[in-house]
Amino acid sequence: MSTSMTPPSSAHQRTTADQAVRGNGRAVTAAPPGVPQSPLEASSKRSRWTVAILLAVAMLWTLIPLVWMLLSSFKNRSDVTAATPQVLFAPTLDNYRNLFSGPNNLGPYIWHSVLAAGISALLALFLGALAGYGLARTRMRGKKHLAFWIISTRMAPIAAIVVPLFLIFRGLGLIDSIPGLVLAYLTFNLPFAIWLMSAFFAEVPPSLEESALVAGCTRWQAFRTVILPLTKSGLVTTFVLCLVFAWNDYAFAVVFSGPNSQTLPIAASQLVTQTGIDWGQLTAIGTIVVVPMMLAGLAVRRWLVTGLTLGAVTGE
Amino acid sequence: MAKVLYEEATRVYPGTERPAVDALDLDISDGEFLVLVGPSGCGKSTSLRMLAGLERVDGGRITIGERDVTHLPPRDRDIAMVFQNYALYPHMSVADNMGFALRVMKAPKQERDRRVRDAARLLDLEEYLDRRPKELSGGQRQRVAMGRAIVREPQVFLMDEPLSNLDAKLRVQTRTQIAALQRRLGVTTVYVTHDQVEAMTMGDRVAVLKDGLLQQVDTPLRLYQHPANVFVAGFIGSPSMNLAEFRVEGEEAVLGGTRIRLSRETLEALRKEGGDRLVLGFRPEAVDVIAETDADAEHRTFPVTVTVVEELGSDAFLYGQYADAAHPALLDQTVIARVDPNAPPAKGDRVRLRIAQGKERLFSAVTGRRLPP
Repeated sequence: MSTSMTPPSSAHQRTTADQAVRGNGRAVTAAPPGVPQSPLEASSKRSRWTVAILLAVAMLWTLIPLVWMLLSSFKNRSDVTAATPQVLFAPTLDNYRNLFSGPNNLGPYIWHSVLAAGISALLALFLGALAGYGLARTRMRGKKHLAFWIISTRMAPIAAIVVPLFLIFRGLGLIDSIPGLVLAYLTFNLPFAIWLMSAFFAEVPPSLEESALVAGCTRWQAFRTVILPLTKSGLVTTFVLCLVFAWNDYAFAVVFSGPNSQTLPIAASQLVTQTGIDWGQLTAIGTIVVVPMMLAGLAVRRWLVTGLTLGAVTGE
Repeated sequence: MAKVLYEEATRVYPGTERPAVDALDLDISDGEFLVLVGPSGCGKSTSLRMLAGLERVDGGRITIGERDVTHLPPRDRDIAMVFQNYALYPHMSVADNMGFALRVMKAPKQERDRRVRDAARLLDLEEYLDRRPKELSGGQRQRVAMGRAIVREPQVFLMDEPLSNLDAKLRVQTRTQIAALQRRLGVTTVYVTHDQVEAMTMGDRVAVLKDGLLQQVDTPLRLYQHPANVFVAGFIGSPSMNLAEFRVEGEEAVLGGTRIRLSRETLEALRKEGGDRLVLGFRPEAVDVIAETDADAEHRTFPVTVTVVEELGSDAFLYGQYADAAHPALLDQTVIARVDPNAPPAKGDRVRLRIAQGKERLFSAVTGRRLPP
């Protein structure tokens, strides 16, 4: 999974895309077997094949490395480095067993990752929802510039902000601490969360909260009982994307963490040593990093799909 | 239930010079159905939202009953509002939507259920109580929005174009239902619409707004018969009133070959104003079709060429163009007249129209205000 910044598509684009898909499907199914096809139908069939092939290539491109990693993590040392790739082999749990034994076992790394990624994603979600709501609803002048400035803080490469942040963190005693990592991830995730959530809130008609206000709600009650439940998919999407970014991060962790806060990607990098690379353990760590995020993604897939297309709220 | 009072209520949006609502004075009595009407941007919705507390009041004050609510938040105003898009909560059932306000004010569950059921029965919604809004038709959603307001048992109903999302036929049906329901419940109601037919058919009184300024507030019939100015004259009535600028010559208003005698009061008012022009209006039903050759001693007539005839069954309307070649400057003037639906003239016919005696309405060409007849 990537955390690249795909701008949320507008409602207009969504509907035209929907129509295009539906229109396409109708054209293909409309031709009964044996009936000569019109050129239009033939070309739409051809384009469907093109799409299918492209999708297949994209799927292989994504899945083969993952499957290869998964398989390798269950191979012993000779199978993993065999010149002929081994697809059939005697599986072993040695790699995992080795990771969790010895003085430098993986347990603390996992715990650090869970803490840093989890807390930073929750904080980004909470603050992002509040700020995003404010941004979506304010009528102030220069609102678009403000929104752009917020997201632009995420456009700098991590490398550019690591050094100044390091100096600040050292002054505050945040180096090699979980709060330090949480804060570092927030600097990147919060703008993203604000920006994404404000796009979701902007889709909720203001009359819904006005109706709640007239019905007797305070602003906070209207937000909690009416607006938040309607942006569930936005909340899930934002949380997962922030979580994935923090969970996968290497650049911040390698600079800011120490023995008390090193995360899983750091553990993986430690397996690349001058004396060689333990491919079996490396792929095992890779699997441990990827699997929880994939499971999380699967669990919230329903909201994630509607969330990423911003098809969240259909008031009417 | 309560009376509602706007006293010089003013709203100026930040960054704008001209007030969206300018010193609005309105006295709405207990149980009255008052309609705010006007073209888009006239401030009618803003006026309503000021009463709801959704829009700040920058000057003047608003009271509901004896309470000054000018700066109270919406929830302390004891009102219920029906929105143009209904604003039903998509994640709640119909019953929960209708009972929402009672739940917020922590009314006992039994009481809540009873009131929701009563409102549902009243609006024929009983079988839909468990549905979600998106499973309902437009008309049903509209009724749920009404139901949500009724359940609240508020001091005032506020309705912001609640019928504009319905199709034409349903709109006419619902219009009468809402008016009947309001009379039955007797709750003071402020209703916003841009549709003057809706305003005329529903309101006890109608307030006409334009550019943030109240033009006239009166009963529908009096608005129609005695518009206070040129704007109201042209806005109220469908098809609209014929309006044209006449020259004043001696004791007559003159346009082309048409001459209309003015009263002493009118002439006096014109003299005070110092104008030699006035705006004369007449309703489409205030003309008679007469034979082209008929002599008319009073010169209240003019010829038109029929361009379109709208036959509605009960009525027929003639749309024509001024056709006196002796006055070429007037040839593009359009005239609308109601004609006998059983024997309407045909397109292309040339007819002569006579403005019925005493049916003309006179307005100042300077201020637009009504002149004494």
